[in-house]
Amino acid sequence: MKRVLFAALPVVMFATVAQADLVGKPIPIGIAVAQTSNVALLGEEEVIGARVAEKYFNAHGGVNGTPIKLIFQDTGGDEAGAINSFQNLINRDKVVGIVGPTLSQQAFSADPIADRAKVPVIGPSNTAKGIPQIGEYVGRVSAPVAVVAPNALKQVLKEHPGIKKVAVLYAQNDAFNTSESGTFQETVKKMGLQIATIQKFQTTDTDFTTQVTAVLGAKVDLAIVSGLSADGGNLVKQLRQLGYKGPIIGGNGLNTANIFPVCGQYCEGIIIAQAYSPSADPKNAINKAMVKEYRDKYKKDPPQFMAQTFTAVQVFVEALKKVEGVNKKKITQMDLAKVRVDLNKQIRTGTYLTPIGKISLDKEGEIHQENFYVAKIKMNPDNKTGRYDYVK
Amino acid sequence: MDEFFQNNGFLIVVMVQQTLLAMSLYYPLMAGQLSLASPGFYALGGYVAAIIGTVEYFSPWRDALGWGVFPLEWLIAGVMSALLAVIVGIPALRLKGIYLALATIAFVEIVRVTCLNLDITGGAIGIFGVPQLFESRWAYIWIFGPLLAVMLYFSYRLERSRVGRAFKAIREDELAADAMGINTTRYKVLSFVIGAVLAGIVGAMSAPFLNTWNARQGTFDASIAYLAYVLIGGGRSIWGPLLGGALLSALPEVLRPLKDSRLIINGLVLVFASIYLPQGLAGALGRLKLVFRRGSRPSGGGA
Amino acid sequence: MGTAQIIQNLLNGISIGSVYAIFALGYTLVFSILGIINFAHGAVFTLGAYFTYTLTVGQFGINGLLSGVSLDTQLPFAASIIVGSIFAGFVGVLLERLAFKPLRTRGADSLLALVSSLGVALVLVNVIQYLVGAEIYTFPQEVYGDIKPAIMFEVAGEIIVIRTVQVIIFAVCMVVLAILGYIISRTKAGKALQAVAENQITASLLGISVDRIILFTFFLSGFLGGLAGTLVGTSFGIAGPYFGVSYGLKGLAVIVLGGLGSIPGAVLGGMVIGLAEAFVPPDYSAYKEAVAFAFLFVVLLVRPQGLLGRSLIQKV
Repeated sequence: MKRVLFAALPVVMFATVAQADLVGKPIPIGIAVAQTSNVALLGEEEVIGARVAEKYFNAHGGVNGTPIKLIFQDTGGDEAGAINSFQNLINRDKVVGIVGPTLSQQAFSADPIADRAKVPVIGPSNTAKGIPQIGEYVGRVSAPVAVVAPNALKQVLKEHPGIKKVAVLYAQNDAFNTSESGTFQETVKKMGLQIATIQKFQTTDTDFTTQVTAVLGAKVDLAIVSGLSADGGNLVKQLRQLGYKGPIIGGNGLNTANIFPVCGQYCEGIIIAQAYSPSADPKNAINKAMVKEYRDKYKKDPPQFMAQTFTAVQVFVEALKKVEGVNKKKITQMDLAKVRVDLNKQIRTGTYLTPIGKISLDKEGEIHQENFYVAKIKMNPDNKTGRYDYVK
Repeated sequence: MDEFFQNNGFLIVVMVQQTLLAMSLYYPLMAGQLSLASPGFYALGGYVAAIIGTVEYFSPWRDALGWGVFPLEWLIAGVMSALLAVIVGIPALRLKGIYLALATIAFVEIVRVTCLNLDITGGAIGIFGVPQLFESRWAYIWIFGPLLAVMLYFSYRLERSRVGRAFKAIREDELAADAMGINTTRYKVLSFVIGAVLAGIVGAMSAPFLNTWNARQGTFDASIAYLAYVLIGGGRSIWGPLLGGALLSALPEVLRPLKDSRLIINGLVLVFASIYLPQGLAGALGRLKLVFRRGSRPSGGGA
Repeated sequence: MGTAQIIQNLLNGISIGSVYAIFALGYTLVFSILGIINFAHGAVFTLGAYFTYTLTVGQFGINGLLSGVSLDTQLPFAASIIVGSIFAGFVGVLLERLAFKPLRTRGADSLLALVSSLGVALVLVNVIQYLVGAEIYTFPQEVYGDIKPAIMFEVAGEIIVIRTVQVIIFAVCMVVLAILGYIISRTKAGKALQAVAENQITASLLGISVDRIILFTFFLSGFLGGLAGTLVGTSFGIAGPYFGVSYGLKGLAVIVLGGLGSIPGAVLGGMVIGLAEAFVPPDYSAYKEAVAFAFLFVVLLVRPQGLLGRSLIQKV
């Protein structure tokens, strides 16, 4: 072990004594997501999103002819790992900006580092309240849950006007789902419906009979599930297996093709609140290109985090073009610190036509997304794959 | 050099921080008690700092004390950890060996799940926007560094004190120590409390350092990691946790260039280190020193 | 709580409890022989599920080295689960040779085995991710044949539902327990195992090859761990390389509760914790994860040797 350490240390030290403060060529953009640990399920989708984006934008001329290069640093699942990868990207890899990290908790830890170093960050999947408020240099392309969730509820009420009693179920040990469920509950109350039962579960649970029995006992007309793919998918499956017949709304955590094999035939008909829809807008050229690339390679529809990471890279690329336009100079001839500051400014101007639709980032860095979608799951005959049929 | 610290400062401070946590396991071990409770107290200390730093109720404190609120946080974290350690320690320390280890793991899990569910601890998302003591991460060395120095001096004195000798007597043979008139329960609880207070203070210092605090900070995984620090470093002297904590916490970062396989290699290093360093790094270095002094070939083969 | 609710909770409890039991048996067997806890047991659990998946489905996803690979030959599920668990058993054997034996032969502190097994766990989990990614793999729903997903019946006017997969898992666990009980108490190898657990030196003087018994124990342990992993995998899906971790932790609570090294203790401990979790009121379900450990803590304080610890019953 000593040998490993001592061999590696000098490398670390030498790498840091770099002088060049011009932007590297190709233009380096950092991707700091969870490639290991139990968060990797989400991180892997983001890695694919970033890779597809790199290929796509370089094939389309990069930044006015200069290619981009994505630099991946694994954050793992913890806070210190996120800070370490941010430090690496900022100081060693000299990136112009960072896409990441995966979890909101990690963002609260690492984003302030980038903010103090004046390096723009775009969160691809941080949905918690308070993320853009971390600092001037922090933005996100993942809409906060408060705006995504209610759409699905409205849609279901349109289809089933008789709904009165609602069951709300959520994964309590998960930050995203807890806050999403809060939004659902508020919306349910606002619409004059009755919450007959609130059932909590854990993302590590495997059996949901207790929750399901409570839902059946409460004789509800609608069940709203906020969970991640494994637990949420299993909960839906067990709800159906044990005889729940009413409509089910799935939160944004179920907006991934990962749930298809989990709930199989029982996924059919779940209404999902989406911040991304692969099929909503047939005129969205960039989405079509991205979906095609993904389908060709992986034979299924891209998940939301993949699309949001693609979007984050796109925002960087387009904002870099704007920086060149304003400074009338190639990015690669500019001072890195200045590019970072200018880039942060440009990110917050104008609109972007991205795979997740038309978006803009406000002064604070919060995303304003034109469209949210509601989809209904349609399973294929093999019961292992399926698709999200765009409803609204 | 400045740039070096800017780049690696965070990691170096993390190494010191993990070293301190490894040391918090070492004190009970001095008295022969295998306690893995540190992450529980670490989490508690962090929450104390995060709550005092962010909750509205404490804003008069913050306004009145300025930066002085930070030492106050450490103090409160230390005191609360000590109290909890006494409450948990008195019953738990009747257990021995692996049973104590498992009881303390249970304690860590109970603390974790409780923090995950309380409102004051911010539930799953935790507490964010923890006020900062320093601008740069590297500057945090100015609190963790002195704490390490104090703890090293403390350990030095402790080992030569009556208390330290009592600890050692209990480790060597608890029954004999008891027969010699040493109040074993009191000393065992004392060793446990020292470790807990240290972990609590490190937690209180770490909440600003990590900017945020949540229930994922004190887990079973952390318990095992600290245990690995102590055992790979060597559990017979204070230099063991120091070396083990610093090197093992740096390892995943040093291996970063290996990308996808870095954690696989990290695991292999743990296996090989356990096999080839049975006395820990400190033990191995100690033997090396002997060899150099005598100018002779290593005694006792490779083991 | 009505009668129906109580029956429902009982059923849920013994079903999950039986999985805890066979998983924890793997821990306890190793402990009974070597007096150490094998931290890689949770990883072997995970690996067993992946082995069975590979044999019976063999289609990999979009991440990792094996992405897009689809194996041509598939075994029927019944054969896969046995072969997959045997593979997991061999991983147990490998684990013993790589992480435990070198420490024993060097006479190292037995605590170091915790660290080396932790290292192996880290390797296994990350190798899995390296190969097949962190995505979710699921077994086809018909692995247990064409059966109804749930049985319902009425008690005192209230409906009780049982998922058939729960019944199957419970039945499989009972069969495995019966076979294991037979192996340990009736076969020569089992008796040798008991002797080694009681006293290694005496056993070797009696002409028992302690080394072979240790290997046999690790094989059994890996087999049981892998089997438990597959059973959970069929009911829930394989939720990434880390999905055994929470079982690994809970398994510790189970074996200590039952009494370290005690086989009936592991079974009892599994059942007690399964039932205790099932009876946590839904409003407090968030604290369910803590129930096992609260139980553990209390039991340790009141009765450190566990429910069926050494002082009551012979160790194996």
